Amino acid sequence: MLHLALALTLLAAAQPPPERTIAVDERLAADLGLRVGDRVVLRARPEDAEGDTVRIAAVTRRGADPSEIARDDYRVRLHLGQLQALIGYGDRVDRFAVATTGDSGTAAVLRRVNDAAFGFRAYRSRDVAVETSRTFAVVSRFHRAIGVITIVASAIFLLCIMLLKVEERRRDVAALRLLGVSRASVVRSVVLEAAAVALAGSALGVGIGWVASAIVNAHYQGVYRTPLVFSLVTPGVVTLAVALSVTLGVAAGLLAALRLVRTPPLALLGR
Amino acid sequence: MIAARAAASLLRHRARTALAVLGVAVAAAMLLDMIMLADGMRASFRAMLDVRGFQLRLSPRGTLPFDTEATIGGAGEIARLLRANPDIETVAPVLGAALHVRVPGTADVSVVGLGVEPAVQGDYALVRGREAARPDELVANALLLRRTRARLGDTLTVAVGYDPQLRTARGTRRLVVVGEGRFFYLAADQPAAALPIATLQAMGGPERADRVSLFMVRARPGADVERVRAWIAERVPRVTVLSTATAMAAVDQRLSYFRQLAVILGAVSLVVGFLLVTTLVTVSVNERVGEIAVLRAIGVARSRVVRQIVLEGLVLSVAGAVVGLGLGLVTARYLNGILKAFPGLPASIDFFLFQPRDAAAALGLLVVTGLVAGAFPAWRAASLPIARTLRQEAVA
Repeated sequence: MLHLALALTLLAAAQPPPERTIAVDERLAADLGLRVGDRVVLRARPEDAEGDTVRIAAVTRRGADPSEIARDDYRVRLHLGQLQALIGYGDRVDRFAVATTGDSGTAAVLRRVNDAAFGFRAYRSRDVAVETSRTFAVVSRFHRAIGVITIVASAIFLLCIMLLKVEERRRDVAALRLLGVSRASVVRSVVLEAAAVALAGSALGVGIGWVASAIVNAHYQGVYRTPLVFSLVTPGVVTLAVALSVTLGVAAGLLAALRLVRTPPLALLGR
Repeated sequence: MIAARAAASLLRHRARTALAVLGVAVAAAMLLDMIMLADGMRASFRAMLDVRGFQLRLSPRGTLPFDTEATIGGAGEIARLLRANPDIETVAPVLGAALHVRVPGTADVSVVGLGVEPAVQGDYALVRGREAARPDELVANALLLRRTRARLGDTLTVAVGYDPQLRTARGTRRLVVVGEGRFFYLAADQPAAALPIATLQAMGGPERADRVSLFMVRARPGADVERVRAWIAERVPRVTVLSTATAMAAVDQRLSYFRQLAVILGAVSLVVGFLLVTTLVTVSVNERVGEIAVLRAIGVARSRVVRQIVLEGLVLSVAGAVVGLGLGLVTARYLNGILKAFPGLPASIDFFLFQPRDAAAALGLLVVTGLVAGAFPAWRAASLPIARTLRQEAVA
């Protein structure tokens, strides 16, 4: 038994230390033409004479993190001890991630750490997420404001077009009225036509929006090299757009139709 | 005469004209905002970079200034090398560090600390007081003075961090506030202090000794800045040398989303304005084909009819543009307020910056749009077959 243990010890001493490995992100791998198995030299500072030769063991893909969207940097993942040694960081870390057993456990850990610790603080992950996504929250607020302005502009445009469309029917309406068709029937037919036009326009608009959204996603995912989805066509957005355009179309049609039926038919004919 | 007839035509359907003008106004407001957005942040960023006339910035190789915590070693030697170049007028080293200011009775205030050489610094303008000439002095911004309730002449206890093992503050110094400064490159919600760079390096211990985060370089008047940039890049390969132009290019790349959004929305606004004016003038012409045919029959020249109809489109566009420019300034202010909340955005940066040339560009584009929008219905009106139109109108 003693002999066996001694033999294993000697065998271990004869083996070279295991090669150290790292993982690089897709962006770095693509830009430098790196592949799994390649060897690279890591230095903490450009001026350092010697580095740490390591083998690339994996190529990683970034998650969809909005807070990193404008950052054009590269990511390399190392074993903690390896990075501490490389940059002379000693036995230190920037942060710990702690998994708790639930909400009450989280609260208890937060309280205990923050009461006892000196020089660092514990935060809930969701609070950290809120803080790091502030940039995205600002962009989101900006988009909402632009969206409101766009809706106002579209509403005015739609009202104008529908009014003009109905006004073009002056002579038809005059003829119908002279034939004895009731005012209510004329109004109903005009409103129905306006609703049909608004609905057809909405369907076309949803199609154009869907294509535009796909183009936006493809373009910006390429520009920022991220899987983040920039534009989403959700059922809620489609419902809002269709409801708004049909409501405005019907309202404009109704207004114009009421004006037309109140005008004497001969006046509509310009007599 | 032409103007009067165009006005009469537009006033015949006042509600319709008012709605069209309102539509063009909203489109014009959006167009102005987008022109301001596309140009504003560049102009604003350039103004910030040029505020003290430093044309070159040296940061640790592969980084942008203060984008990471990396620093440049051997700072003294680099500074001497740069100052020996006759084309270089000023070299301003800057070291950045997070500082903690002790405030008795409350939590410490976290502060952006800048180590500078006061005689040549380009990071802030003194609002009152004087520069931190001695090693134990600092210049604070208004927010830091407010948070610490300090006044000029007061002494603050400042540390560069905590040592968790020793459970004590690291690099603590007692520094006298001798001035209040307005910091050019920091966000409005960042308390800041500038102190002599040697003091900050000493507070940081061996990790910060003879290191800086950035050098700012001002070339002599008349010197070729690009040549100076190339010379530094060759002589100091450990740094990235950014000229104002390359810094602008980096900003352009990071904020390309907003520029592209501005171009797309600006183009959509123009198309909406164009469609509105074209539709309105076309419908107006369709309603008046008989009247136009009569005018042509009694000898009114084709060019006169064209001018009148084009003028109608132009009046709609210009009226909408005038209303829209005012509306655009209000919305730009609101949108700028939203984007100014970007975390860490320097207080002096504006996304929507009004420049008279922006208003001129928006107005010019809308005038051209109005002219083009009126061209199609004008061509249709001018090419009406007179006799057939009159006969059709009589039958109708």
